[in-house]
Amino acid sequence: MTPLLEVQNLSKSYPVGRKGLFGKRMMQVLREVSLSVQPGEVLGLVGESGSGKSTIGKAVLRLIEADSGTVRFDGQDLSTISHADLRRLRKDMQIIFQDPYASLDPRKTIRAVLSEALDTHKLHMGTARADRLTELMTMVGLSPAFLDRRPHEFSGGQRQRIGIARALAVEPKFIVCDEAVSALDVSIQAQVLNLLADLRAMTGISLLFISHDLSVVRYISDRVMVLYLGKVMEVGPADQIHFAPRHPYTAALISAEPSLKHESNRIRLTGEIPSPLTPPSGCVFRSRCPYALPACAETVPPLRDMGEGRLKACIRDDIL
Amino acid sequence: MTAIPVPKKTRLLPAIPRRMILPSILLAALILIPFAAPLITGADPVQISVRDRLALPSWEHWLGQDEFGRDRLARVLYGGQVSLTVAFVATTLACIFGTLLGLIGAYFRGPFEFVTTRLSDVVLCFPPILLALLVVTLFGPGAGTLVAVLSVLYFPSFARIAFSEALRVSSLDFVEASRALGTPSHRIVLGTILPNIAGPVSVQYSLTAAAAITIESGLSFLGLGVVPPAPSWGQMIRGARQFMNQDPLGILIPCVALILTIYAINFFCDRLRDTLDPKGALGGGKDETSVPVAARVTPSDETADVVASIRGLRLQLMSPGGPVDVIQDVSLTLRANQCTALVGESGSGKSLSSLALMGLLPGAIHQAGGALRLRRKSGQMVDLGTLTAKELEDVRGNDVAMIFQEPMTSLNPIHKVGAQMVEAILSHRPMPYADARTRAIDLLELVGINEPARRFDGYPHEMSGGMRQRVMIAMALTCEPRLLIADEPTTALDVTIQAEIIELLQRLRTEYADGLSLLFISHNLGIVSEIADRVAVMYSGQVVEEGPVSQVLNSPHHPYTVALLESMPSSHEELHSARGDRLRAISGTPPLPDARPSGCAFRDRCPIAIPSCADAPPPLFNSADGDRQVRCFRAPEAGSEAAR
Repeated sequence: MTPLLEVQNLSKSYPVGRKGLFGKRMMQVLREVSLSVQPGEVLGLVGESGSGKSTIGKAVLRLIEADSGTVRFDGQDLSTISHADLRRLRKDMQIIFQDPYASLDPRKTIRAVLSEALDTHKLHMGTARADRLTELMTMVGLSPAFLDRRPHEFSGGQRQRIGIARALAVEPKFIVCDEAVSALDVSIQAQVLNLLADLRAMTGISLLFISHDLSVVRYISDRVMVLYLGKVMEVGPADQIHFAPRHPYTAALISAEPSLKHESNRIRLTGEIPSPLTPPSGCVFRSRCPYALPACAETVPPLRDMGEGRLKACIRDDIL
Repeated sequence: MTAIPVPKKTRLLPAIPRRMILPSILLAALILIPFAAPLITGADPVQISVRDRLALPSWEHWLGQDEFGRDRLARVLYGGQVSLTVAFVATTLACIFGTLLGLIGAYFRGPFEFVTTRLSDVVLCFPPILLALLVVTLFGPGAGTLVAVLSVLYFPSFARIAFSEALRVSSLDFVEASRALGTPSHRIVLGTILPNIAGPVSVQYSLTAAAAITIESGLSFLGLGVVPPAPSWGQMIRGARQFMNQDPLGILIPCVALILTIYAINFFCDRLRDTLDPKGALGGGKDETSVPVAARVTPSDETADVVASIRGLRLQLMSPGGPVDVIQDVSLTLRANQCTALVGESGSGKSLSSLALMGLLPGAIHQAGGALRLRRKSGQMVDLGTLTAKELEDVRGNDVAMIFQEPMTSLNPIHKVGAQMVEAILSHRPMPYADARTRAIDLLELVGINEPARRFDGYPHEMSGGMRQRVMIAMALTCEPRLLIADEPTTALDVTIQAEIIELLQRLRTEYADGLSLLFISHNLGIVSEIADRVAVMYSGQVVEEGPVSQVLNSPHHPYTVALLESMPSSHEELHSARGDRLRAISGTPPLPDARPSGCAFRDRCPIAIPSCADAPPPLFNSADGDRQVRCFRAPEAGSEAAR
């Protein structure tokens, strides 16, 4: 099966401040990340702040420009595509944001928010429009009577549903969910997760699900990719990553997650996440890794195939 | 074909608010009156009558005549036409040009940003009057030249404000969403960004118009503006200046006109800013202390280890529709060496309850019932409701401290960490600086900061989020409190860092001084189960279940607690969306405080509600051993209490 989205060696750095008179200090947020999403698949991206997970989400939609690497969507190379073609392709790839309060224009009615997408792509024009808007509202579990209200009249969970409806309006094949449920209260979060699961079953849509919450990611994703300081640490099927992590960072992340079941043998990480400006040599995780060896400082560990669709970037096989 | 729903034009103001009525009328009058001049006076503003020079007010000439015998009323009115036209046309041109430049610069960045900022900088480099003088000298005086000069002079202020505001709005997710939808750039800039920056730009417009009137008058006064004999306010001042001693009225009239107009415009833009800024609409101070409450409860269960107790707390929000109970019935007992967690979703009232314990309620909220009691260092229990503002301040500094979710906003970014800590220490207990410094460094070490002496001289921005939270904890400990309130202290932190902070708080509870009572506010049941001894679950302003953590979280009795636990994906590790499993979510959202259902507040979302739940609000039922309380008619406790 050809993947719907294929990303190869994506790198991105941002200038931060000055170095000397003319030089710029560059902060590398993504280091040669490769990933692929099959049609109908949900890929979870997990990592702490500074891991670059949101940058990946925006770079694959070309909302920001990557420094190097290729992004192929539906067989087309996004980095060489013309502006007009990119605009047309935007119909097939959408994004849902974290903050339901910042993601809707406070001055527009819900009808205007949803119509913007349809107008741009000349979809459901004329009489079909009203039906489509009703259908979208019903799909996300909101009453069509709310169409003429403005965002401030809705709760956070309802706004997030509107954000989902906006993304679904153009019938995309792929949606980036950037911390889409992180800002919601737990009972509302469960409702939105169920909605996403239903949409998945109904439309066969692909998702790139970005979150820092490992349990949420495990529930919604088929495969999970763990990132640390812009590097891929481990990739594999969601349940396996969650219940049998092979990379020390994944293991630490999962054991640090507060849970109702008290874990006696918690892996403790010491120290802070290093600044992306001054990452450790070799393996970027080694400065906090309880299993680090002197050899870890020498070379960047390659992402090795461990079989069963699992990959990890760690030189040690004698642990975990 | 039926009508296509046309996107409605977004209105900037929903309706004219009351506070805008007076300034709007005043401004409209001052603008309209000059243009109604022919209706008010028949006199010609340029007709000279040397015989009547400097004549006093008369029936034909209400305001008298000037040094050439011209009618002053006519001159001030017609002069106003010129002054106002020049000012408003110039301001409008500057506004359109500047705003567009700012918008384009901020949205497209790169070379556009360069052009916008540099162009503005270059113009701003010139002193305004000097630039105006230069242009007028080159092109000759006249209203047309004035308009051109003023619009060039003022466009940078619009460009700058539009640029910075548009930059802020562009970074918001809804603009990104429009880009992701493929909306053409011009529609994003004009349809989405422009309406969202309209507030500050319109305020800038009024301010600039007022300034333009002053500059116009100034230039005309210097003889570089409107060409005589055409009237303008600056011209009138210039003419009357020579006869100031004989005829003070001559200079007074144009000055009053000028002052009134500028005052009206400034009054208007002050009110406009308040109206457009949602925060400006809120009145009331922040630190208002609660008034003592009439009905006081004297609890008898206060053993020596009780650090604080809340009994039947009721908080009301004063709203236009009458008082609303935001907190209905909250009771908690906080003991030394114990951690009590307050759990609930946003709006459940968990933070408000803790702010009440600090005597820090927001101005619009007041205590309407119940008692808040706190043990002071002397061992005496005091009722917070009976304390004066000064005494409360003393309590806050000495007996109870608080840490917040976002450590960056709680630390002053321009002062060194050490200086802030020393200040806190000295404000509680006067001591030599060197001692305070030692104590601050000891505290930094206690909260697990490496190289505390070096960090003491650092700034907050040099630290990571986790370290700043440690500093906040150290700051809270400077007053040696008996009670530490932690309001979502780890929510903004990464999981691995969060685990460390939880560990630190755990350690402090047992190791610090003679034991710390910790009130831990959180929405995360996982964290609560790790840190707390007792937990109180809040829903819509009430405690619905309270008891030992292990019992409440392992066998919850209230259906809301059950629902909270059930909807966490981590409590169902066997479920997976790909297999078609759904999380056991409850429907609906928590009710707003002014729209709670009758009877039990949870009943319309409750899976086990029965008709009688609507009849009366359930009380807190005690368990047989008295260790747990549940607010539900269907809980086992309700049965056991009825049996007794």
